[in-house]
Amino acid sequence: MNFEEIEDQDGIRFSFNAWPASRIDATRNVVPIASLYTPLKERDDLPLIYYEPVTCKQHTCGAILNPYCQIDPRGKLWICPFCLHRNQFPPHYRDISNTNLPAELLAKHTTIEYTLAHSAQVPPIFLYVVDTCFEDEQDLKALKDSLVVSLSLLPPHALVGLITFGTMTQVHELGYTECPKSYVFRGSKDYGSKQIQEMLGLTAQATRPQQPLRPGQPAPMPSGNTRFLLPYQQCEYTLTSILEQLQMDPWPVAQDKRPQRCTGVAMSVAVGLLEATYQNHGGRIMLFVGGAATEGPGMVVSNELKNPIRSHHDIEKDAAKYYKKASKFYEGLSKRASTNGHVIDIFGGCLDQVGLLEMKSMVNATGGVMVLSDSFTTLIFKQSFQKMFEKDAEGHLKMGFNATLAVQTTRELKICGLIGHAVSANKKTASVGETEIGIGNTSAWKMCGVSPKTTNAVYFEVVNQAGQVLQPGSRGLIQFVTHYQHSSGHFKLRVTTVARNWVEGNSPIIAQSFDQETAAVLMARIAVFKAEIDDGPDVLRWLDRTLIRLCQKFADYRKDEPQSFRLTDNFSIYPQFMFHLRRSQFLQVFNNSPDETAFYRHVLNREDVNNSLIMIQPTLMSYAFDSEPIPVLLDSVSVKPDSILLLDTFFYILIFHGETIAAWRKAGYQDQAGYENFKELLEAPVADAQDLLMQRFPIPRYIVCDQNGSQARFLLSKLNPSTTHVSGGQYGSMPQGTAIFTDDVSLQVFMEHLKKLAVSGTS
Amino acid sequence: PAMPNAAEQGPQFFVPGEKQQQQPVPAYQQGLQPLAGQSLQPNVNQLTNQMAGMTMGANAFGYNTGPQLSTVALMGSAPRIQDLDADPPAIRLPPNAAITQSPNANSHPSYKRSTLNAVPGTSQLLTKSRIPFGLVITPYRSIKDGDEPVPVVTDSVIARCRRCRTYINPFVTFIEGGQRWKCNMCFTANEVPSSFDYDPQTQQPVDRWQRKELNHAVVEYIAPTEYMVRPPQPLVYLFMIDVSYPAIQSGMVATAATTILESLDRIPNDEGCTKIGIVTVDSSIHFYNLNTSSGEPQMLVVSDLEDPFLPQPEDLLCNLSECRSTLEALLNRLNDMFKDTQNVGNALGPALQSAYKLISPIGGKILCLQASLPNLEAGALKMREDPKLLGTAKESTLLQAASNFYKTFAVDCSKSQVCVDMFLFGSQYSDVATLSCLPRFTGGSTFFYPAFTAAKSEDALKFAHELAEFLSQRIALEAVMRVRASKGLRMSAFYGNFFVRSTDLLSLPNVPRDQSYSIEISYEDNLTIPVVCFQTALLHTSSSGERRIRVLTLALPVTNSLHEVFQSADQVAITTLLACKAVERGMNSKLDDARDALTNKMVDLLGVYKTHMTAASSGATPNLQICDNLKLMPLLMLGMLKHVALRGGSQIPSDLRSYAMHLFSTLPSQCLIPYIHPRFYALHNMPADCGTIGDNGIVMPQAMNLSSERLERGGLFMLEDSQNIFLWIGRDAVPQLCIDLFGVPNYESIRGGKTTLPTLETDFNQRINLIIGKTREMRRTAYYPQLYVIKEDGDQALRLWFLSHLIEDRAEPIMSYYQYLGHLKDRVNSGSF
Ligand SMILES: [Zn+2]
Ligand SMILES: [Zn+2]
Repeated sequence: MNFEEIEDQDGIRFSFNAWPASRIDATRNVVPIASLYTPLKERDDLPLIYYEPVTCKQHTCGAILNPYCQIDPRGKLWICPFCLHRNQFPPHYRDISNTNLPAELLAKHTTIEYTLAHSAQVPPIFLYVVDTCFEDEQDLKALKDSLVVSLSLLPPHALVGLITFGTMTQVHELGYTECPKSYVFRGSKDYGSKQIQEMLGLTAQATRPQQPLRPGQPAPMPSGNTRFLLPYQQCEYTLTSILEQLQMDPWPVAQDKRPQRCTGVAMSVAVGLLEATYQNHGGRIMLFVGGAATEGPGMVVSNELKNPIRSHHDIEKDAAKYYKKASKFYEGLSKRASTNGHVIDIFGGCLDQVGLLEMKSMVNATGGVMVLSDSFTTLIFKQSFQKMFEKDAEGHLKMGFNATLAVQTTRELKICGLIGHAVSANKKTASVGETEIGIGNTSAWKMCGVSPKTTNAVYFEVVNQAGQVLQPGSRGLIQFVTHYQHSSGHFKLRVTTVARNWVEGNSPIIAQSFDQETAAVLMARIAVFKAEIDDGPDVLRWLDRTLIRLCQKFADYRKDEPQSFRLTDNFSIYPQFMFHLRRSQFLQVFNNSPDETAFYRHVLNREDVNNSLIMIQPTLMSYAFDSEPIPVLLDSVSVKPDSILLLDTFFYILIFHGETIAAWRKAGYQDQAGYENFKELLEAPVADAQDLLMQRFPIPRYIVCDQNGSQARFLLSKLNPSTTHVSGGQYGSMPQGTAIFTDDVSLQVFMEHLKKLAVSGTS
Repeated sequence: PAMPNAAEQGPQFFVPGEKQQQQPVPAYQQGLQPLAGQSLQPNVNQLTNQMAGMTMGANAFGYNTGPQLSTVALMGSAPRIQDLDADPPAIRLPPNAAITQSPNANSHPSYKRSTLNAVPGTSQLLTKSRIPFGLVITPYRSIKDGDEPVPVVTDSVIARCRRCRTYINPFVTFIEGGQRWKCNMCFTANEVPSSFDYDPQTQQPVDRWQRKELNHAVVEYIAPTEYMVRPPQPLVYLFMIDVSYPAIQSGMVATAATTILESLDRIPNDEGCTKIGIVTVDSSIHFYNLNTSSGEPQMLVVSDLEDPFLPQPEDLLCNLSECRSTLEALLNRLNDMFKDTQNVGNALGPALQSAYKLISPIGGKILCLQASLPNLEAGALKMREDPKLLGTAKESTLLQAASNFYKTFAVDCSKSQVCVDMFLFGSQYSDVATLSCLPRFTGGSTFFYPAFTAAKSEDALKFAHELAEFLSQRIALEAVMRVRASKGLRMSAFYGNFFVRSTDLLSLPNVPRDQSYSIEISYEDNLTIPVVCFQTALLHTSSSGERRIRVLTLALPVTNSLHEVFQSADQVAITTLLACKAVERGMNSKLDDARDALTNKMVDLLGVYKTHMTAASSGATPNLQICDNLKLMPLLMLGMLKHVALRGGSQIPSDLRSYAMHLFSTLPSQCLIPYIHPRFYALHNMPADCGTIGDNGIVMPQAMNLSSERLERGGLFMLEDSQNIFLWIGRDAVPQLCIDLFGVPNYESIRGGKTTLPTLETDFNQRINLIIGKTREMRRTAYYPQLYVIKEDGDQALRLWFLSHLIEDRAEPIMSYYQYLGHLKDRVNSGSF
């Protein structure tokens, strides 16, 4: 079974592709039945349907006609596989026959996309929320330039709005033509949503009710949708000139102070503005922030420079003064934005932290993006930001709005939950299970923003009791229905229906159907989800226990004989993934700032299996003379003086020149005649790196370094410390490769322990 | 002590002021006949008795006490109103009281005048006279063409008494061979600054007798740095413009914006440091960044009224010269920016709070242009006009501030050198009483335009003219004023627009031109010196950014003679002071009390005069008598009683009354007297030279008594009270008059009401236009009297309004002048004073 082929077709991969027929057997498999599903996965040959889907009329079901439905062409009937209801085909299906089937019934069309008849009343909305507190004017200038460029990438009918903030928050009234006009909000005050709307004149309260309108008085003021958010083509000049004239926050900043930055109020106003004007219309609030919020609700650090921003240690010791309050504040905003159907993106441009940790809920709950860069002058920001506006072949932005993912299962299977950038849509159907993993208790989730990359983990449980007799060849079915607003304005429905066989609990087919890569990523998401709530060590213990139990279940071994331990191919690298996951930045947070942790975890929860695996276990390619580039072990043994390494951690891409190569390069051989092959060798990894850079979002950091150079630490920290300063040479020989100064256990030591514990049968 | 011989008295003294003092005109020449058998001399026995009780005789100081007291009878003839323009009684100082013979050694009455030009030696004598004692000071009167500017001492040498801080003045004496000078207040000897005799700059000896401060009672010093707590502030004008629906609809905003735009060149900006800011307000506060790179104004809206704040730290006040084009761009489009508004909110209070934040670090002026009642958050006011209260004892509550906010805010402003001016445009109720608190305590001004609509060009013109004049005034800034007096006298009550910071220090963030301040004086001790001195020092920053001290010195003789006290009494100054006191009484107590107090005062005066100054010291008197220089007092009292400010009845809206009261306590005498007693002229039969340019400018017609008897059916009359000008035209006016004056064929074609007189080629039209022009000019203030044409058979309300100014008439229930005199006589005869 080729998992990747299935993935190409349906955008889905399962941990197990054959399912044990009873709850007890499923539980014994340790790794739950779960999938990573990319609802809007791009596919050239995606069947596009321009009529309304046929749905099951059983009132609690609503499943959509699919290739797994039994049909009776003569009776013009179809049987819903989820509820077994017999449905009449609608009149226009009267010509249906086994040789004349509509597209949605063709076996190959397990994934299909309907373009629905109704379309959005409002084009996509882009509300820019722009920080003006910078230490260097260049940062603001670069940001302004990027913003102006981005406007030209928007569809001309898209609605745009602008909020700027520093010590105060300004909402620019783009529809006002007499002069630039903005509404100013105090940065230190927690404005309620009603207050914000009143102050912007978005409610009837703007005029005094106690004084009746006089006859002949003009019609009420134009509402917010023509004042603050306008089609880009209408306000292009106004908006561009406001952006071009945007000045640094004018309030003075003392030497020993941070600038007053009221990110919280700005976001509160932004959420309130969209809430009042375009509730449930697709739109995104894009926050560009140059530092941490220092005042008002949502402040994450005091403006005294002597007080540093919180670290993981501060949070652990409960010494982060503003952390909980700020997080709660932004969670409140995230809840409102997700309820209203609006995406929030955060672009940070700062060497220090911007408070992403506190603000992350706004992005994670709404399906937004996070981009962290050292400054808005960096390519990471500029290119990532532009990439947001990538367009498809028809010239539509590759972003969907206001999506709902609904999942339906046949009755043996229930939904435990979803881990990804979504919120619960609170839909309690018969498919909802008792066990909760991630966002549970619902069979549908809302994703205010969704892109072709958005990949969600959905977890299931088997509810069949042991002993229930299986029909031979019976299958479990899951239907994923994603309703979303395409950036063209059309509403679309992507339907993926998958079927997997039920098998006896002890059947070898189950082990054979195990997709270790997918399973690793699914378990990583659970681990990260737990880590957000629980203590780090608890999560690691849970991960270890799970791994041992999985090995006990699926490995071949003789009790208490570690050397007898064998894993089949499709389990063999799973422990290695777990080894790397344990020491990854997702779970070992203390080497990173809280903002970085929030960022890494955010990205993990969006990407598909392959990308996630790179994050968990980076790839390392070696380039040398006389050979094609080859993948090498992510191990210190791979470091060689005469080779170039290309490390891809997903978040950064690093080219590492071995000592000799570095020396030659320094000497400039590549520019001399007769050394063309050296030049080619140098260029090969650069070209490959460029390919990777172009595929990614956000744009990874790109590092070129030499062995023994200071930047080399980025490579060494990722390598398996098979040769540390304490380990001595492998197999008793002199150390090969390079010694890594670390106390981490090596993969080899980890594996020894695993074998021992797995076979001991006591854990 | 012997009485001075009248024959020995001549006008041998130098006469202070700019004009030579006129000899008093005998009463009989003024149309007042002396009564048969009535001596013009005071009762000699009476006087002798009086003086026997005194420690010193009236002339114990050895100087002449001036001409004999001239007593006139009040009843039986029309009051001689021409004397309203007469100079105050002469100040008869002993010879050589001043050290120089300068004609300007004593204060001109237009700057400073006393109710008494001879000061009673004891409080008992003052009490006996029943004359209120006080000063009327107009320290920053305007200087028009032909007026003498205030001399400036440019060498910044300021000689002051080391003990009592009096500034050297023409009434000090040099002692010890001119080495030292003796203070005329406390008699301390002080060193004469060497620069009085020697100029260190030119290294030449100089003549100290030429020094301005020894020759001029009104003089200005350039203050050295010790008179500054900070560098002099630049001029700051922050316009706070109501842009709510009523404000836009009335056309106020459009008119204001145009006027400000056209006045930009007239706003004082000598040093190029003048700052301008514009804030507009409806239910939000709109600030404007006027210092943008694009040259386009930027509007910043603050809707947080609970907690108003400044949207940015800079550029909301801009340098007039540097940001001129942006400012012009804003003013040009200001009205359009709000033309479609339907917002009826007015958050003046919060807007003021944020304006205060903007302006208080420098100090300056907030000009509020308000056409609707503030109705949001702090300082919100309600329509509280209640016709049921008008004319009752509770009417005063409507004349008091409805909210403490404005007073408290004004006091804060005063501390930060912020002045607030109010331009109020009421289409309905404006609560002048409350909103005029801001100018009252901050040295500001209030202008009121009831029922303003710019659609009426006269309304627009009046407002535009007054605003433009006001903006072009070279005002004084961040001022404090203190009046020092010779030992024994104390400033006890203050009236006008300022805040009393400590017992006698008045704080004036702005000193507008031609505002008057009245101060009542009380005794702490008997006066044992022949001459007392009142010195007013106004420390201020000039419009050109200089710290200056304006010093006004008034020296007055001391007398122990009641008849000298009466003889020196200044009815104009007394009326000014009484007007202030009446207004205060009317506001704080009841209007009835205020009116009663005026009449009682008049009865007292007449009674005292009768008792002590006439033969008929007891028993019924057939006529009322008073000295010639106070003979117009009953008429002025009646004028006040009949004035909108104090008149009884239930017909006067409290806004109009409050505004009139405001004018009562701030108008300089040359405006206040006609305000109380309007000028009334017959124009159809005026002499041929009237309205032409004569030797002393435009020749004005003779003013007439304010009596409807003067009206003729075919006549054209003009009446002017410094705030309005009325042209009354009789129904039988001949067509030629209508053609000549209005350019219309006949009476029927004349339109009544607010109007602008056309400019025609006819002689009559030109003369009358000149008379109107002259009238507007001679009041000197920024006020631009509105012209109304009243047709005899025209609009009833207008006619009644006009007729209400004819105060000698009976106007039910208020007495005619003669009835009033009769009433006064009865009271005097009944001894109820
Ligand atoms: Zn069904
Ligand atoms: Zn002294």
